[in-house]
Amino acid sequence: MIDTKKQEELFRFIGEKLNKKIECYVIGGSAMMYYGMKDATKDIDLVFEKEKDMEEIVRLLKSLGYKEKETKILYPKKKNVPVLLERDARFDLFSEKIVNTVLSDAMKERINAVYEYNNLIVKVISPEDLIITKCATERAGDRKDALEIIKKTNVNWDVIIKESINQTELSPYLFPLFLFDFLYELKEDLKADIPKEVLDKIRKISEKMLEKEYKKTKK
Amino acid sequence: MKKPIEDNLKDLEGLNTIDLIAKKLNVKRSTAIKKVYELRKQGYVETQGGGKQPRIYRISRIKIRQIGNPGLYDIINKYSKIKIVRPYEHRIIGKKLCIEEAIVRAIKTKEFRVILASLSLFNKIKDWHKLYQYAKKENVRRKIGALYDVARKTILVKKMDNKTMNLLLNAKSEKRHIIENMKSKEFNDIEKKWNVYIPFNKSDLERYKE
Repeated sequence: MIDTKKQEELFRFIGEKLNKKIECYVIGGSAMMYYGMKDATKDIDLVFEKEKDMEEIVRLLKSLGYKEKETKILYPKKKNVPVLLERDARFDLFSEKIVNTVLSDAMKERINAVYEYNNLIVKVISPEDLIITKCATERAGDRKDALEIIKKTNVNWDVIIKESINQTELSPYLFPLFLFDFLYELKEDLKADIPKEVLDKIRKISEKMLEKEYKKTKK
Repeated sequence: MKKPIEDNLKDLEGLNTIDLIAKKLNVKRSTAIKKVYELRKQGYVETQGGGKQPRIYRISRIKIRQIGNPGLYDIINKYSKIKIVRPYEHRIIGKKLCIEEAIVRAIKTKEFRVILASLSLFNKIKDWHKLYQYAKKENVRRKIGALYDVARKTILVKKMDNKTMNLLLNAKSEKRHIIENMKSKEFNDIEKKWNVYIPFNKSDLERYKE
Protein backbone atom coordinates (compact mmCIF):
# COMPACT_ATOMS: atom_id res chain seq x y z
CA MET A 1 0.00 0.00 0.00
CA ILE A 2 1.09 3.59 -0.67
CA ASP A 3 0.41 6.07 2.09
CA THR A 4 0.33 9.86 1.86
CA LYS A 5 3.97 10.23 2.82
CA LYS A 6 5.16 7.70 0.27
CA GLN A 7 3.07 9.30 -2.48
CA GLU A 8 4.53 12.70 -1.63
CA GLU A 9 8.06 11.30 -1.75
CA LEU A 10 7.45 9.63 -5.09
CA PHE A 11 5.99 12.78 -6.65
CA ARG A 12 8.86 14.89 -5.33
CA PHE A 13 11.37 12.40 -6.65
CA ILE A 14 9.75 12.24 -10.10
CA GLY A 15 9.47 16.04 -10.19
CA GLU A 16 13.16 16.44 -9.47
CA LYS A 17 14.12 13.84 -12.06
CA LEU A 18 12.07 15.36 -14.88
CA ASN A 19 13.83 17.73 -17.26
CA LYS A 20 10.71 19.59 -18.32
CA LYS A 21 7.36 20.48 -16.79
CA ILE A 22 4.76 17.73 -17.05
CA GLU A 23 1.15 18.15 -15.99
CA CYS A 24 -1.11 15.33 -14.94
CA TYR A 25 -4.42 14.79 -13.18
CA VAL A 26 -4.60 12.61 -10.12
CA ILE A 27 -7.68 10.43 -9.74
CA GLY A 28 -8.80 7.49 -7.62
CA GLY A 29 -7.36 6.71 -4.20
CA SER A 30 -4.41 9.03 -4.78
CA ALA A 31 -6.75 11.99 -5.19
CA MET A 32 -8.78 10.86 -2.18
CA MET A 33 -5.65 11.08 -0.05
CA TYR A 34 -5.37 14.79 -0.91
CA TYR A 35 -8.92 15.26 0.40
CA GLY A 36 -8.09 13.34 3.57
CA MET A 37 -10.66 10.67 2.67
CA LYS A 38 -8.12 7.86 2.62
CA ASP A 39 -4.82 7.11 4.33
CA ALA A 40 -3.40 4.74 1.76
CA THR A 41 -4.02 3.45 -1.76
CA LYS A 42 -3.08 0.37 -3.76
CA ASP A 43 -1.93 2.34 -6.78
CA ILE A 44 -1.25 5.86 -8.00
CA ASP A 45 -3.67 6.77 -10.80
CA LEU A 46 -2.50 9.55 -13.10
CA VAL A 47 -4.16 10.90 -16.24
CA PHE A 48 -2.24 12.79 -18.90
CA GLU A 49 -3.61 15.19 -21.48
CA LYS A 50 -0.63 14.65 -23.76
CA GLU A 51 0.46 11.20 -24.85
CA LYS A 52 4.07 12.46 -25.02
CA ASP A 53 4.01 13.45 -21.35
CA MET A 54 2.82 10.00 -20.37
CA GLU A 55 5.54 8.40 -22.46
CA GLU A 56 8.11 10.58 -20.69
CA ILE A 57 6.88 9.39 -17.27
CA VAL A 58 6.83 5.76 -18.47
CA ARG A 59 10.43 6.17 -19.67
CA LEU A 60 11.48 7.71 -16.38
CA LEU A 61 9.78 5.08 -14.23
CA LYS A 62 11.24 2.27 -16.31
CA SER A 63 14.71 3.80 -15.88
CA LEU A 64 14.07 3.66 -12.15
CA GLY A 65 13.37 -0.06 -12.29
CA TYR A 66 9.60 -0.08 -12.70
CA LYS A 67 8.31 -2.99 -14.77
CA GLU A 68 5.29 -2.96 -17.05
CA LYS A 69 2.47 -5.26 -15.92
CA GLU A 70 -0.32 -7.04 -17.78
CA THR A 71 -3.54 -5.01 -17.67
CA LYS A 72 -6.02 -7.80 -18.50
CA ILE A 73 -6.26 -9.13 -14.94
CA LEU A 74 -7.18 -5.75 -13.48
CA TYR A 75 -9.26 -4.50 -16.38
CA PRO A 76 -10.82 -7.52 -18.05
CA LYS A 77 -12.63 -6.79 -21.34
CA LYS A 78 -12.14 -3.02 -20.93
CA LYS A 79 -10.97 -0.44 -23.43
CA ASN A 80 -8.68 2.54 -22.73
CA VAL A 81 -6.84 0.66 -20.03
CA PRO A 82 -3.83 2.23 -18.34
CA VAL A 83 -0.16 1.43 -18.58
CA LEU A 84 0.65 -0.37 -15.34
CA LEU A 85 4.12 0.06 -13.91
CA GLU A 86 5.19 -1.65 -10.73
CA ARG A 87 8.13 -1.78 -8.38
CA ASP A 88 7.58 -1.06 -4.69
CA ALA A 89 4.56 1.02 -5.72
CA ARG A 90 2.19 0.68 -8.67
CA PHE A 91 1.40 3.44 -11.14
CA ASP A 92 -1.69 3.28 -13.37
CA LEU A 93 -1.10 5.77 -16.17
CA PHE A 94 -3.98 6.84 -18.41
CA SER A 95 -3.83 8.97 -21.52
CA GLU A 96 -6.89 11.27 -21.64
CA LYS A 97 -9.35 8.35 -21.50
CA ILE A 98 -10.04 6.45 -18.30
CA VAL A 99 -11.67 3.20 -19.42
CA ASN A 100 -15.22 4.40 -20.27
CA THR A 101 -14.63 8.01 -19.27
CA VAL A 102 -12.98 10.90 -21.04
CA LEU A 103 -11.17 13.56 -19.05
CA SER A 104 -13.47 16.35 -20.23
CA ASP A 105 -12.79 20.10 -20.35
CA ALA A 106 -15.42 20.58 -17.64
CA MET A 107 -13.55 18.11 -15.42
CA LYS A 108 -10.32 20.00 -16.04
CA GLU A 109 -11.99 23.26 -15.04
CA ARG A 110 -13.42 21.73 -11.86
CA ILE A 111 -10.05 20.77 -10.36
CA ASN A 112 -9.78 21.73 -6.71
CA ALA A 113 -6.06 21.85 -6.23
CA VAL A 114 -2.75 22.06 -8.04
CA TYR A 115 0.40 20.76 -6.37
CA GLU A 116 3.76 21.55 -7.92
CA TYR A 117 6.51 19.06 -7.22
CA ASN A 118 9.30 20.80 -9.09
CA ASN A 119 8.66 19.77 -12.72
CA LEU A 120 5.73 17.49 -11.94
CA ILE A 121 2.45 19.37 -11.72
CA VAL A 122 -0.32 17.34 -10.15
CA LYS A 123 -3.93 18.49 -10.49
CA VAL A 124 -6.57 17.02 -8.20
CA ILE A 125 -9.97 16.39 -9.76
CA SER A 126 -13.16 17.25 -7.88
CA PRO A 127 -14.97 14.73 -5.63
CA GLU A 128 -17.87 14.68 -8.13
CA ASP A 129 -15.52 13.70 -10.95
CA LEU A 130 -13.90 11.12 -8.70
CA ILE A 131 -17.29 9.42 -8.46
CA ILE A 132 -17.66 9.62 -12.25
CA THR A 133 -14.26 7.99 -12.81
CA LYS A 134 -14.91 5.38 -10.11
CA CYS A 135 -18.08 4.49 -11.94
CA ALA A 136 -16.06 3.96 -15.11
CA THR A 137 -13.22 1.85 -13.76
CA GLU A 138 -15.41 -0.46 -11.62
CA ARG A 139 -12.52 -2.19 -9.93
CA ALA A 140 -12.68 -3.92 -6.60
CA GLY A 141 -12.86 -1.24 -3.96
CA ASP A 142 -14.23 1.46 -6.27
CA ARG A 143 -17.71 1.20 -4.74
CA LYS A 144 -16.29 1.47 -1.23
CA ASP A 145 -14.28 4.52 -2.28
CA ALA A 146 -17.33 6.15 -3.86
CA LEU A 147 -19.26 5.52 -0.67
CA GLU A 148 -16.52 7.23 1.32
CA ILE A 149 -16.58 10.24 -1.01
CA ILE A 150 -20.35 10.56 -0.62
CA LYS A 151 -20.02 10.27 3.16
CA LYS A 152 -17.28 12.85 3.50
CA THR A 153 -18.26 15.40 0.85
CA ASN A 154 -21.29 17.45 0.28
CA VAL A 155 -21.65 16.04 -3.24
CA ASN A 156 -23.13 18.34 -5.87
CA TRP A 157 -25.36 15.84 -7.68
CA ASP A 158 -26.23 18.28 -10.46
CA VAL A 159 -22.57 18.30 -11.51
CA ILE A 160 -22.54 14.49 -11.66
CA ILE A 161 -25.74 14.34 -13.72
CA LYS A 162 -24.50 17.02 -16.15
CA GLU A 163 -21.13 15.33 -16.54
CA SER A 164 -22.74 11.97 -17.24
CA ILE A 165 -24.65 13.56 -20.14
CA ASN A 166 -21.46 15.27 -21.28
CA GLN A 167 -19.62 11.95 -21.23
CA THR A 168 -22.19 10.43 -23.59
CA GLU A 169 -21.37 13.17 -26.09
CA LEU A 170 -17.65 12.50 -25.77
CA SER A 171 -17.63 8.72 -25.93
CA PRO A 172 -19.71 5.97 -27.56
CA TYR A 173 -21.14 4.86 -24.22
CA LEU A 174 -24.52 5.71 -22.68
CA PHE A 175 -22.85 6.95 -19.54
CA PRO A 176 -25.96 7.76 -17.47
CA LEU A 177 -26.84 4.06 -17.71
CA PHE A 178 -23.56 3.05 -16.05
CA LEU A 179 -24.00 5.79 -13.52
CA PHE A 180 -27.51 4.70 -12.63
CA ASP A 181 -26.40 1.09 -12.03
CA PHE A 182 -23.40 2.22 -10.04
CA LEU A 183 -25.32 4.62 -7.81
CA TYR A 184 -28.32 2.30 -7.44
CA GLU A 185 -26.08 -0.49 -6.15
CA LEU A 186 -24.33 1.97 -3.86
CA LYS A 187 -27.65 3.01 -2.37
CA GLU A 188 -29.16 -0.47 -2.15
CA ASP A 189 -26.14 -2.52 -1.09
CA LEU A 190 -23.96 -0.07 0.77
CA LYS A 191 -26.72 2.27 1.99
CA ALA A 192 -25.09 5.35 0.45
CA ASP A 193 -26.88 8.63 1.09
CA ILE A 194 -27.99 9.36 -2.48
CA PRO A 195 -31.23 11.35 -2.82
CA LYS A 196 -34.05 9.40 -4.50
CA GLU A 197 -34.71 12.35 -6.82
CA VAL A 198 -31.16 12.08 -8.14
CA LEU A 199 -31.58 8.40 -9.01
CA ASP A 200 -34.98 9.10 -10.58
CA LYS A 201 -33.49 11.87 -12.70
CA ILE A 202 -30.61 9.70 -13.93
CA ARG A 203 -33.03 6.81 -14.63
CA LYS A 204 -35.23 9.09 -16.75
CA ILE A 205 -32.23 10.42 -18.68
CA SER A 206 -31.02 6.84 -19.25
CA GLU A 207 -34.44 5.71 -20.48
CA LYS A 208 -34.67 8.61 -22.89
CA MET A 209 -31.20 7.85 -24.23
CA LEU A 210 -32.04 4.18 -24.63
CA GLU A 211 -35.24 5.03 -26.49
CA LYS A 212 -33.31 7.32 -28.80
CA GLU A 213 -30.73 4.62 -29.46
CA TYR A 214 -33.46 2.06 -30.08
CA LYS A 215 -35.13 4.34 -32.62
CA LYS A 216 -31.82 4.90 -34.34
CA THR A 217 -31.11 1.18 -34.71
CA LYS A 218 -34.69 0.51 -35.93
CA LYS A 219 -34.20 3.00 -38.76
CA MET B 1 -32.17 15.78 16.10
CA LYS B 2 -29.46 18.39 15.61
CA LYS B 3 -28.26 18.60 11.99
CA PRO B 4 -24.52 18.19 11.37
CA ILE B 5 -22.77 21.49 10.69
CA GLU B 6 -21.65 20.21 7.24
CA ASP B 7 -25.28 20.45 6.08
CA ASN B 8 -24.85 24.22 5.91
CA LEU B 9 -21.91 24.06 3.53
CA LYS B 10 -23.87 23.93 0.28
CA ASP B 11 -25.72 27.17 1.12
CA LEU B 12 -22.61 28.95 2.31
CA GLU B 13 -20.02 28.01 -0.31
CA GLY B 14 -18.03 31.03 -1.53
CA LEU B 15 -17.34 34.40 0.03
CA ASN B 16 -19.45 35.52 3.00
CA THR B 17 -19.68 38.06 5.77
CA ILE B 18 -21.28 37.25 9.12
CA ASP B 19 -24.40 39.22 8.16
CA LEU B 20 -24.66 37.35 4.88
CA ILE B 21 -24.31 34.01 6.64
CA ALA B 22 -27.03 35.00 9.12
CA LYS B 23 -29.29 35.95 6.20
CA LYS B 24 -28.59 32.80 4.20
CA LEU B 25 -29.24 30.50 7.16
CA ASN B 26 -32.03 32.66 8.54
CA VAL B 27 -30.43 32.77 11.98
CA LYS B 28 -29.34 35.46 14.45
CA ARG B 29 -25.92 37.12 14.01
CA SER B 30 -24.62 35.42 17.17
CA THR B 31 -25.69 32.01 15.81
CA ALA B 32 -23.96 32.78 12.50
CA ILE B 33 -20.72 33.57 14.38
CA LYS B 34 -21.00 30.23 16.19
CA LYS B 35 -21.57 28.37 12.91
CA VAL B 36 -18.49 29.98 11.34
CA TYR B 37 -16.48 29.09 14.43
CA GLU B 38 -17.55 25.44 14.16
CA LEU B 39 -16.92 25.26 10.41
CA ARG B 40 -13.52 26.89 10.81
CA LYS B 41 -12.59 24.35 13.50
CA GLN B 42 -13.25 21.62 10.94
CA GLY B 43 -11.16 23.31 8.27
CA TYR B 44 -13.88 24.58 5.92
CA VAL B 45 -13.31 28.31 6.48
CA GLU B 46 -10.55 30.71 5.61
CA THR B 47 -10.67 34.28 6.86
CA GLN B 48 -9.61 37.29 4.84
CA GLY B 49 -9.32 40.84 6.07
CA GLY B 50 -9.88 41.94 9.62
CA GLY B 51 -8.64 45.04 11.38
CA LYS B 52 -9.76 48.04 9.33
CA GLN B 53 -11.02 45.84 6.49
CA PRO B 54 -14.31 44.00 6.81
CA ARG B 55 -13.80 40.34 7.66
CA ILE B 56 -14.65 38.04 4.78
CA TYR B 57 -15.05 34.29 5.17
CA ARG B 58 -14.20 32.00 2.31
CA ILE B 59 -16.21 28.85 2.85
CA SER B 60 -15.37 25.73 0.91
CA ARG B 61 -17.42 22.56 0.61
CA ILE B 62 -14.36 20.38 0.77
CA LYS B 63 -11.17 20.23 2.74
CA ILE B 64 -7.97 19.83 0.83
CA ARG B 65 -4.51 19.19 2.23
CA GLN B 66 -2.34 22.27 2.58
CA ILE B 67 1.11 20.82 2.10
CA GLY B 68 4.17 22.70 0.91
CA ASN B 69 4.23 26.45 0.39
CA PRO B 70 1.68 29.00 -0.81
CA GLY B 71 1.13 29.31 -4.55
CA LEU B 72 0.58 32.29 -6.85
CA TYR B 73 -2.90 33.33 -5.67
CA ASP B 74 -1.94 33.30 -1.99
CA ILE B 75 1.20 35.35 -2.66
CA ILE B 76 -0.79 37.96 -4.59
CA ASN B 77 -3.48 38.11 -1.91
CA LYS B 78 -0.84 38.51 0.77
CA TYR B 79 0.80 41.53 -0.80
CA SER B 80 -1.77 43.17 -3.06
CA LYS B 81 -4.50 45.63 -2.22
CA ILE B 82 -6.59 44.03 -4.96
CA LYS B 83 -7.66 40.57 -3.85
CA ILE B 84 -8.37 37.70 -6.18
CA VAL B 85 -10.52 34.62 -5.79
CA ARG B 86 -8.46 31.47 -5.96
CA PRO B 87 -9.81 29.18 -8.68
CA TYR B 88 -8.18 26.27 -6.84
CA GLU B 89 -5.79 25.54 -4.00
CA HIS B 90 -2.29 26.08 -5.33
CA ARG B 91 0.65 24.69 -3.37
CA ILE B 92 4.33 24.46 -4.20
CA ILE B 93 6.29 21.63 -2.70
CA GLY B 94 10.02 21.65 -2.10
CA LYS B 95 10.58 25.36 -2.69
CA LYS B 96 9.08 28.78 -1.98
CA LEU B 97 7.58 30.85 -4.76
CA CYS B 98 9.53 34.11 -4.71
CA ILE B 99 7.99 37.48 -5.58
CA GLU B 100 10.10 37.73 -8.74
CA GLU B 101 8.76 34.44 -10.11
CA ALA B 102 5.22 35.24 -8.95
CA ILE B 103 5.09 38.37 -11.16
CA VAL B 104 6.22 36.40 -14.19
CA ARG B 105 3.70 33.65 -13.45
CA ALA B 106 0.93 36.23 -13.07
CA ILE B 107 1.65 37.50 -16.59
CA LYS B 108 1.62 33.96 -17.92
CA THR B 109 -1.92 33.41 -16.60
CA LYS B 110 -3.13 36.06 -19.13
CA GLU B 111 -5.93 36.82 -16.68
CA PHE B 112 -6.89 40.47 -16.30
CA ARG B 113 -7.51 40.56 -12.56
CA VAL B 114 -4.51 38.39 -11.68
CA ILE B 115 -2.16 40.67 -13.66
CA LEU B 116 -3.78 43.80 -12.27
CA ALA B 117 -3.46 42.54 -8.68
CA SER B 118 0.13 41.46 -9.26
CA LEU B 119 1.29 45.04 -9.95
CA SER B 120 1.66 45.49 -6.19
CA LEU B 121 4.33 42.84 -6.14
CA PHE B 122 6.78 45.17 -7.92
CA ASN B 123 7.12 47.00 -4.63
CA LYS B 124 8.30 43.83 -2.92
CA ILE B 125 11.05 42.97 -5.41
CA LYS B 126 14.36 42.35 -3.69
CA ASP B 127 16.43 41.19 -6.62
CA TRP B 128 15.83 42.88 -9.98
CA HIS B 129 18.28 40.63 -11.77
CA LYS B 130 16.38 37.58 -10.55
CA LEU B 131 13.21 39.11 -11.99
CA TYR B 132 15.02 39.57 -15.29
CA GLN B 133 16.18 35.93 -15.27
CA TYR B 134 12.64 34.61 -14.74
CA ALA B 135 11.29 37.02 -17.37
CA LYS B 136 13.93 35.87 -19.84
CA LYS B 137 13.13 32.20 -19.23
CA GLU B 138 9.44 32.79 -20.01
CA ASN B 139 10.11 35.40 -22.72
CA VAL B 140 8.09 38.17 -21.06
CA ARG B 141 10.86 40.71 -20.56
CA ARG B 142 9.17 43.62 -22.39
CA LYS B 143 5.89 42.84 -20.69
CA ILE B 144 7.59 42.99 -17.29
CA GLY B 145 9.15 46.34 -18.18
CA ALA B 146 5.87 47.76 -19.42
CA LEU B 147 3.88 46.62 -16.39
CA TYR B 148 6.58 47.99 -14.10
CA ASP B 149 6.16 51.40 -15.73
CA VAL B 150 2.37 51.15 -15.30
CA ALA B 151 2.84 50.24 -11.63
CA ARG B 152 5.20 53.21 -11.15
CA LYS B 153 2.49 55.55 -12.40
CA THR B 154 -0.05 54.32 -9.90
CA ILE B 155 1.48 52.88 -6.78
CA LEU B 156 4.59 53.33 -4.75
CA VAL B 157 7.18 51.10 -6.40
CA LYS B 158 10.90 50.76 -5.77
CA LYS B 159 13.18 51.98 -8.53
CA MET B 160 14.53 49.37 -10.91
CA ASP B 161 18.26 49.50 -11.49
CA ASN B 162 19.36 50.82 -14.88
CA LYS B 163 21.15 47.64 -15.91
CA THR B 164 17.98 45.51 -15.54
CA MET B 165 15.90 48.20 -17.24
CA ASN B 166 18.23 48.21 -20.25
CA LEU B 167 18.32 44.44 -20.44
CA LEU B 168 14.51 44.35 -20.44
CA LEU B 169 14.37 47.05 -23.10
CA ASN B 170 16.78 45.16 -25.34
CA ALA B 171 14.65 42.02 -25.42
CA LYS B 172 13.54 40.95 -28.88
CA SER B 173 10.95 38.65 -30.48
CA GLU B 174 8.21 38.88 -27.93
CA LYS B 175 4.47 38.90 -28.59
CA ARG B 176 2.90 42.34 -28.15
CA HIS B 177 -0.27 41.36 -26.31
CA ILE B 178 -0.21 40.68 -22.58
CA ILE B 179 -3.85 39.63 -22.88
CA GLU B 180 -5.15 38.74 -26.33
CA ASN B 181 -7.05 41.58 -28.08
CA MET B 182 -6.63 44.02 -25.18
CA LYS B 183 -5.02 47.43 -25.67
CA SER B 184 -4.87 50.53 -23.54
CA LYS B 185 -6.48 53.81 -24.48
CA GLU B 186 -4.36 55.77 -22.06
CA PHE B 187 -0.94 54.20 -21.58
CA ASN B 188 0.17 54.74 -25.17
CA ASP B 189 3.53 56.20 -24.13
CA ILE B 190 4.40 53.03 -22.23
CA GLU B 191 3.04 50.86 -25.03
CA LYS B 192 5.26 52.70 -27.51
CA LYS B 193 8.34 52.50 -25.29
CA TRP B 194 8.05 48.74 -24.70
CA ASN B 195 6.30 47.71 -27.90
CA VAL B 196 3.72 45.90 -25.77
CA TYR B 197 -0.04 46.43 -25.43
CA ILE B 198 -1.14 47.28 -21.90
CA PRO B 199 -4.47 45.63 -21.00
CA PHE B 200 -5.42 48.37 -18.52
CA ASN B 201 -6.76 51.88 -18.53
CA LYS B 202 -6.31 54.40 -15.73
CA SER B 203 -9.76 53.63 -14.35
CA ASP B 204 -8.75 50.00 -13.76
CA LEU B 205 -5.93 51.17 -11.55
CA GLU B 206 -8.22 53.43 -9.50
CA ARG B 207 -8.87 50.38 -7.34
CA TYR B 208 -5.37 50.82 -5.91
CA LYS B 209 -6.26 54.31 -4.71
CA GLU B 210 -9.53 53.39 -2.98
